[in-house]
Amino acid sequence: MAILTIHTESGVQTAGCAPGTLLSAALSASGHAPEMPCGGKGRCGKCRVRASGALCAPAPEELDRLHADELAAGVRLACCAKVLGDADVWPAESRAVSQICTESVGVTLGSDPVFHTLGAAVDIGTTTLAAQLYDRTGLLATVSAPNPQRESGADVISRVGYAMQGGAQALAACVRGAVAQMLRELCRLSGRTCGEIDALVITGNTAMLHLFAGDDPSPLAAAPFVVRERYGKTVPAADLELPCAPDAAVYLPRCMSAFVGADITTALLASGVCTRSETALMADIGTNGEIALWSGGKLLCCSTAAGPAFEGANLLHGMQGAPGAIDRAAVKDGQIQLHTIGDRPAAGICGSGVADVLACLLQLDVLDETGYLDADGGVWPLSGEVCFTQRDVRQVQLAKSAVRAGIESLLHQEKLNYDAVAELAIAGGFGSYLRLESAAAIGLIPPELTPRCRVLGNAALAGAVMLLHDRALHASSAAMADAAQTVELSTDPFFMNQYVMQMMF
Amino acid sequence: MSILTDISENLQRGKAKIVKELVQQAIDEGIPANQILEEGLLGGMNVVGEKFKANEIFVPEVLVAARAMNMGTTLLKPLLAQSGVKATGKVCIGTVKGDLHDIGKNLVRMMMEGKGLEVVDLGVDVSPEQFIDAAKNQGCQIICCSALLTTTMGVMSEVVEAAKTAGIRESVKIMVGGAPVTEAFCQQVGADCYTADAASAAEAAVKLLA
Repeated sequence: MAILTIHTESGVQTAGCAPGTLLSAALSASGHAPEMPCGGKGRCGKCRVRASGALCAPAPEELDRLHADELAAGVRLACCAKVLGDADVWPAESRAVSQICTESVGVTLGSDPVFHTLGAAVDIGTTTLAAQLYDRTGLLATVSAPNPQRESGADVISRVGYAMQGGAQALAACVRGAVAQMLRELCRLSGRTCGEIDALVITGNTAMLHLFAGDDPSPLAAAPFVVRERYGKTVPAADLELPCAPDAAVYLPRCMSAFVGADITTALLASGVCTRSETALMADIGTNGEIALWSGGKLLCCSTAAGPAFEGANLLHGMQGAPGAIDRAAVKDGQIQLHTIGDRPAAGICGSGVADVLACLLQLDVLDETGYLDADGGVWPLSGEVCFTQRDVRQVQLAKSAVRAGIESLLHQEKLNYDAVAELAIAGGFGSYLRLESAAAIGLIPPELTPRCRVLGNAALAGAVMLLHDRALHASSAAMADAAQTVELSTDPFFMNQYVMQMMF
Repeated sequence: MSILTDISENLQRGKAKIVKELVQQAIDEGIPANQILEEGLLGGMNVVGEKFKANEIFVPEVLVAARAMNMGTTLLKPLLAQSGVKATGKVCIGTVKGDLHDIGKNLVRMMMEGKGLEVVDLGVDVSPEQFIDAAKNQGCQIICCSALLTTTMGVMSEVVEAAKTAGIRESVKIMVGGAPVTEAFCQQVGADCYTADAASAAEAAVKLLA
């Protein structure tokens, strides 16, 4: 078994592979699939990486494609270079290749960490889990995994329902098991042992924390949605069945309300929005869209049910951001040009592709402002079997208007217009892959704010990392969450009106 | 083009002001109120319902069309009352207890009004008792329950049980709907009818009353 050490901006990761494995295959297997528009035939040269160690001699295609100075600097084509033994690789940063976003904007870490030897930060997302391991010198490893609770329902409410019907223990056990597995993997990647982990920060939305901690989630099931447990507390890791040092402690950050959770508290922390004097918005766009407005020392938050359209769940050919998913589209010479993840034949369309394709259809006047798709039988063929239907358009209209109406409602509440907003920070995995121009073209975000957008990546995890490194932030972030005012949208006439209006393009 | 066709077409395009003017003009021309209602307003809403069902138009267009219809019916109501024309049936509708979503419920209400039914809107977070009270004391022949959450749809079976307890189960029909609701769920809770969309719900209500 050869050990491949992968160096990325977010840290160092190691992966085992059989000698003779192509670098491209080894990178794909660890979530760093290189772009290979030519399909890995050594023709396009797009899969350039820097690599050193036990690799085969450059293939004729590489000698043909790469300049002498590139070859001298260790640049290789991932589709040609074979791993023969232990090697190091520095893949090109690519935005749309990984299914799970673990990267985020750089945050400044404090110097009063809550861990002594090793500390771990975990983000329990409804769909995906992400975790990072730190020692006193810095980041050791990053891992991600699907949330295994998905099998008991894709959305928060169906999982809460499942928990209330006797599934609570099973849900807690499966997510704890997955987190434990990630901790073991982090330690394996860094050559450490789980017994060295003495502190953790675990963030997530309010429902995910309830289901993870084993608390009764029934207040989340029905109006008036008043939760008794908002966390902001430390519990023994042993109670959560995590493999750690015997006296390891887990800090669960404070939630704001039933539908604005600790993940928003930590994302806000990472965004730095609340440490500045200017007015700013932060949006985390997922199945639930959470939006926060910071203005004049006041924090307003809301949650809006966007539904899973941007995760592809309720679209005819929707899929997650996996190989073969149409992730980008643009109009060229009156035609829609498509790009798929891994340059595979199109198997479906993922969230960023959905926004792009709709923006293209609007640009081509195939889609009118009401969302009517002027195509044969209400079906627009994209590639092979993959198409976009009139019904799909309607699903996206519901999703994008929910998010946009949330943004408009918070601004309206504070009597602010777009000019007053210095920044729109976009958190979350989907937001990282989304093209802002397309998001603006379909009205998901206000076009006026596009130039002032900042994409944060997995800010919830980054904020958890900050809490891991700065004891003082525990109290201050809890105070921020306590001071936040949650705006209830479902009974707000302004929101309802906006929700309908923003369905238009 | 006859003025009634004109009313129907303007309603479909959501031209509330024009619809109102045309309805007044039709009244002035001596066209019977029920004919203006049937062939003009309800005819237009029928087309809207069909297009909505086929995904050709969406929520915003339905809402503006419904607003245009309301402008017209406001003028017709006193005349219809004078001439003794009655609604084809009476329905009460609400989103069940614990659930605050009302757009879907509102669409069903508008589509039902578009079929000439009288609709009592109980709003959101409606308890089984409130449904039963409305059915009993306001003479509704149909109870329509909406739910958007998997955790609140269970209340629908409580509504069915409450109707039995109140002794009105035989005399009222119970319809259920909302994103997580299915035909199988409808049968499981012992309701009478489930439809997948608002336009079909209105059609089904008319059939149940026939």
